[in-house]
Amino acid sequence: MPEYTVLTACAVVAVVVAELVYFKSGIFTTAQYWWSIVIVFAFQIPVDGWLTKLSNPIVIYDPEEMLGWRTPWDIPVEDFGFGFAMVTLAILLWRRWLDRRPSSQEAIDGDHDHDARRRSRLRRGRTSI
Amino acid sequence: MRHLALYGWEVGHLDHFQYLLLMVGCLLITLPLEFVFGARVYRRAAGLALALIPVVIIFSIWDIVGILRDHWSYSPQFTTGVKLIFGMPIEELVFFIVVPICGLLTYEAVGEVLRRTQRRSKGRRSRVGEAGPGA
Repeated sequence: MPEYTVLTACAVVAVVVAELVYFKSGIFTTAQYWWSIVIVFAFQIPVDGWLTKLSNPIVIYDPEEMLGWRTPWDIPVEDFGFGFAMVTLAILLWRRWLDRRPSSQEAIDGDHDHDARRRSRLRRGRTSI
Repeated sequence: MRHLALYGWEVGHLDHFQYLLLMVGCLLITLPLEFVFGARVYRRAAGLALALIPVVIIFSIWDIVGILRDHWSYSPQFTTGVKLIFGMPIEELVFFIVVPICGLLTYEAVGEVLRRTQRRSKGRRSRVGEAGPGA
């Protein structure tokens, strides 16, 4: 098995296990997370596509260390696993920070005001309909 | 200048900054998520830092393993040539910071949009029910 492929598979499994065993944030059951992943993948195509294009590559891969499935464009399929693991881990850590924050902190950093402003904006929006 | 091409950044000396410019582009294109969509990721810098640090460490290790095991290498033409420990290009460090930021901005912006949509439909329902201003 090519090493990059193996490492990618391990990373994807590790992140999923980290959520299920350690973080337990429940993000995998939310529309917010899955919509985000879809959008991230959509943007990964032009960015990663530019990095890995075989005509003028910025990142050059050893074909021996991956499956060799390169699509769309010339993106190695493993890169999507890499991206998934990286972005998911970032969201898990971010989520944990959000959820651990004492609720009093919300008022301190202006979250409360922000919400109030937004609510009043929405109300104004509704009454004008 | 070697040649100027419309397709991409192939403008002589700028070549070495291709990777970095791509990262700058990612930051610029996602900036409206913070300020227009109300993602509030940059404005919660402590949380952002705590989310980024482990990601940067773990993925830098992976990157270095990949370099040492020859899984990948970087075009000297399109990178600055500035190397960090174990030959990791500075561009990769930037990548491990920029991409998670873009991911978090997306996550928060999506959350914001979903909350607004829910609130709006809830408001509509309560208005039909009570004919008063929604909570």
